[in-house]
Amino acid sequence: MNDYQHINSQEELEQLIDRYFNGMTSVEEEDALRSCLARCPWSSQAIDEARMVMGYFATHSDRHRRQTAKSRRQLVAGIAASIAIILAVGGYALWHQQQPGDVCIAYVNGQVVQDNDKVMALVADDLSKMDNAANAMTDQLSSLGEALELDNE
Amino acid sequence: MKRITIILTCLLTTMAAMAQTGLNINRLFDGRYKKAAGATEIIVTGVQAREIGLTVYHSLSVTDKNQAELVEAMVVKDGAQAVDKEVEYRNGQLYYGFYTMKKGKRDNRYIFYLNQNLARKSPKNIVTLIYMEGFASQEEIKKLIRK
Repeated sequence: MNDYQHINSQEELEQLIDRYFNGMTSVEEEDALRSCLARCPWSSQAIDEARMVMGYFATHSDRHRRQTAKSRRQLVAGIAASIAIILAVGGYALWHQQQPGDVCIAYVNGQVVQDNDKVMALVADDLSKMDNAANAMTDQLSSLGEALELDNE
Repeated sequence: MKRITIILTCLLTTMAAMAQTGLNINRLFDGRYKKAAGATEIIVTGVQAREIGLTVYHSLSVTDKNQAELVEAMVVKDGAQAVDKEVEYRNGQLYYGFYTMKKGKRDNRYIFYLNQNLARKSPKNIVTLIYMEGFASQEEIKKLIRK
């Protein structure tokens, strides 16, 4: 519902403006007048002058409303950003906490080996053994493939 | 605030549940071989592991026949759950196995197994088990062992 709905015509508006400048309007009527001047489509010299004089109030009111809405949007965006940051930091902290610490150790025949180079040499030896076995398997498969091809020729 | 608490609780619960996803070979890594003669256990995590593209490297080599059978049994059990595997049996025994396990908490998980007793060239009385965890793909792991 518009505040100025009870102003039904341009004439009524002009009469209200006249009464306003003569100091004969009530607070409700002034509110209705401001509202009407800000939104109604009518135009005349009296209405335009009234708009110039009183337009500030209507414009100010709209601006205030826009600023309030903008502030609300900024507040919501701020809260959302804060939550995102908290979740990101929390997630990183959890991930970091779950990362295994620095360990580089070997137990050989009950003897502890803590020298990084020696431990990594043992790792390399393990991996090399696996490589040999994997290669042997690949070779075996290749031989099998070749045998099948020869058989099919 | 209530929503954040609910989200964080769900996150922690999920992570805790995932951390409990175990493998049978974990039972072999309970420290029993650290002081055993004829056994070698290697644990590498953190910086050194990252240098070879992993987050966890844990291996065990045993020479005792009974222990070797136990290792094979655990590997075979886990192998049954593998998402991908390359295995070779010799004389009814597992000779070589490369298993890609279901992804862990964050990382890919791999198991290697080798029974050098069954090797054709210069067999040795050693059974080796390697558990690897990291972001490395299957191909990257294969490259790693070829280095």
